[in-house]
Amino acid sequence: MNNYHSTSNFNTTISRLRDLLNEYRGRPLDENLSEKIENAFLGLEAGIAGQGAEITKPSENTEQQKERRKFERRNKDKIVDAIGIGLCLLNKDLKVTWANQTLCDWLNLKDSPVGNTCHDIYHCDEIGTAVCPAVNVFNGNVSNIIETWIESKNRKKMCVHHVAMPILDADRYINEALILTIDATESEKTVHRLLLLQRLGQAMQGILHLDKLLHLILTCVTSGYAFGFNRALLFLINKELNVLNGKLAVGPSSHEEAHQIWKDISNKYGSLKDILDKLDYSHNIDTPLNTMTKLMVYSLSDTKEVVILCAKEKKPIIIKEAHNDPRVTEEFRKALRVDEFVCVPLIAKNKPIGVIVADNAYTGEPISEDYVNILTMFANQAALAIENAGTYKRLEDKINQLTETQQRLIRSEKMAAIGSMLSYIAHEIRNPLVTIGGFAKTLSRFTFTDSKITTNIDIIIEEVKRLEKILNNITDFAKPSTLEKVDMQICEVMENTCILMENYFQEKNIKLHKEFETDVPSISIDPAQIKQVFLNILINAVEAMPDGGDLNISIKSGIESIEIDITDSGKSIPQDLLQNIFDPFFTTKPNGTGVGLSVSLKIIENHGGNIAVESKHGKGTRMSLILPIK
Amino acid sequence: MTTILLVEDDKNQRLLYEQELSLEGYEVVTASNGREALEKVQVQLPDIVIMDINMPKMDGIEAIGKILSKNKEIPVIINTAYSNYKDNYMSWAADAYIVKSSDLSELKDTIKKVLANRAEDS
Repeated sequence: MNNYHSTSNFNTTISRLRDLLNEYRGRPLDENLSEKIENAFLGLEAGIAGQGAEITKPSENTEQQKERRKFERRNKDKIVDAIGIGLCLLNKDLKVTWANQTLCDWLNLKDSPVGNTCHDIYHCDEIGTAVCPAVNVFNGNVSNIIETWIESKNRKKMCVHHVAMPILDADRYINEALILTIDATESEKTVHRLLLLQRLGQAMQGILHLDKLLHLILTCVTSGYAFGFNRALLFLINKELNVLNGKLAVGPSSHEEAHQIWKDISNKYGSLKDILDKLDYSHNIDTPLNTMTKLMVYSLSDTKEVVILCAKEKKPIIIKEAHNDPRVTEEFRKALRVDEFVCVPLIAKNKPIGVIVADNAYTGEPISEDYVNILTMFANQAALAIENAGTYKRLEDKINQLTETQQRLIRSEKMAAIGSMLSYIAHEIRNPLVTIGGFAKTLSRFTFTDSKITTNIDIIIEEVKRLEKILNNITDFAKPSTLEKVDMQICEVMENTCILMENYFQEKNIKLHKEFETDVPSISIDPAQIKQVFLNILINAVEAMPDGGDLNISIKSGIESIEIDITDSGKSIPQDLLQNIFDPFFTTKPNGTGVGLSVSLKIIENHGGNIAVESKHGKGTRMSLILPIK
Repeated sequence: MTTILLVEDDKNQRLLYEQELSLEGYEVVTASNGREALEKVQVQLPDIVIMDINMPKMDGIEAIGKILSKNKEIPVIINTAYSNYKDNYMSWAADAYIVKSSDLSELKDTIKKVLANRAEDS
């Protein structure tokens, strides 16, 4: 009778638990969970039915009965253990009265837990609180499910859920609580991955620098707690060359390296923060895997290659047996040296932009479709982020171009405005100067008794001349840009200029060193204007060396242009002034007009060339003139 | 005596050129703008014209054009404070282009040269 009661009590308990389960069944990820619990019930039912039948076997004596019971109990235990759920019974004082082997293994218990409080073995934070399922059960509440992470006996990380249910005795009092401990690691991992996916997506959108982004993407794919592949290779499509090119690979290059890395990070959960922090751009270090990947190039029309196929079809491809699969070329298989890998396309705006190849070369863990699905979702986000970074870079380039052009335009307008203003002023001043100087000259022809008069008249003439010289300099600047171009040898023009300045160089103690290449081609130039440029720059160089020094002139030709370098060993130009030296009227000389360099730049630019300056403190200045050959 | 027609709107400069060129032995006729220059040419054909560019009523370029269309043989020297008319194609019609300076020797030399060239040609 008693047993009948117990059995029906157990059955009621079980059906109550089932109801509870149905409540939770709505959650999509708990399918596995509920299946496991379902199995638990079946097992329990079987066990309990067995228990019910345990008692009556009249043919046996006490000794035989004891033996049989022991035997049956062991069998039950085995069944219970085979379910794969940890079980334990707690009494009213929350002390363990029985626990199965599975639970002991999972909780890594060295001794039998019987007699310990449930807290001693579970180490949960909810002990004694209102959330503790055991406490709730004894209070007659519906049991709770709480989840914790534990490290099992064989050092596996597990996520477990605890379900507590009451056990009623014959008088329908709750005298024991049954705690089921269920392994929910798989479903937890999936939840975690989806969350990670979302957070990674957000993090990726924030990174606009392509290299950093690629590194983040592959680190996610290989990070133990994200997708956990051993290695990942990333390829991007180069549209100009019509190829798919390896860009980056992340992962160990050998078993030894893999082992070392896992020893280092074996205890890290690798949260997103960890992943981002660990992003030390060690892709700068060229691992053999990385080097190999960067050398892999495939034409986009070569559909024999699995990566090309993947990009073209815009669908992931799982290769289980590379040596047998017609989609994998011998070369590719040899490069990867694995039999199982997955190719996932990177698709942005419905067009393929690249491929990620991932494998488990070192753990040999099989690649499941689940994994691949989530990886594909991640790849879509990654592709978008890459596209963003690319667009950003193009924008940056365009803006730089525009800024440069704008600056040139402004300078040009400035010069034009100044030019026309100067023209007018020069003209207005020149006329009266002609009159003043001219008449002074006329006067100078007379003889005066007072020699002071002659001197004074000479002074007037001299000052007028000086003013005219200044005007000439300025109007040179305002001159329009028509050139009379002739095919000439630059070296010849420079030689002539140097000859012109021979005496000047000697006077100023300048040692001249010339290095002209022999096969410099002739180019179309206006010799007078180019000579003027050379003169300007050479004079500047000499003036930078008031106590004498070395002046180096070198002329060399490249494929598209000729470069003339004029280097002095004198006072250098301060860094903050370097950008101003070509501005009109900028001068540091007490008697300078500040037009020499800006005129020179204008002339060189009119020839299609450019002037570059380099000036280092203590090392002098180098002016590089570049003239195009065509 | 060689006649020079000097066209210049600045009064003082006119005086200067007149004095200096007369000393050189030329007969100097002056005009203060392009239109006046045309009139003077009608009255008496000069041997050489020295033309300023910036003038009121009619500027030097136009005046040269008009004078040369009627008398294409007359030598013309442009004498101006501007240096950028060198590229104006009309100014190429002139025999020489001088930028004004207080030192009149360039002008004087050029006059001699142009007259000598013309004498050779004819």
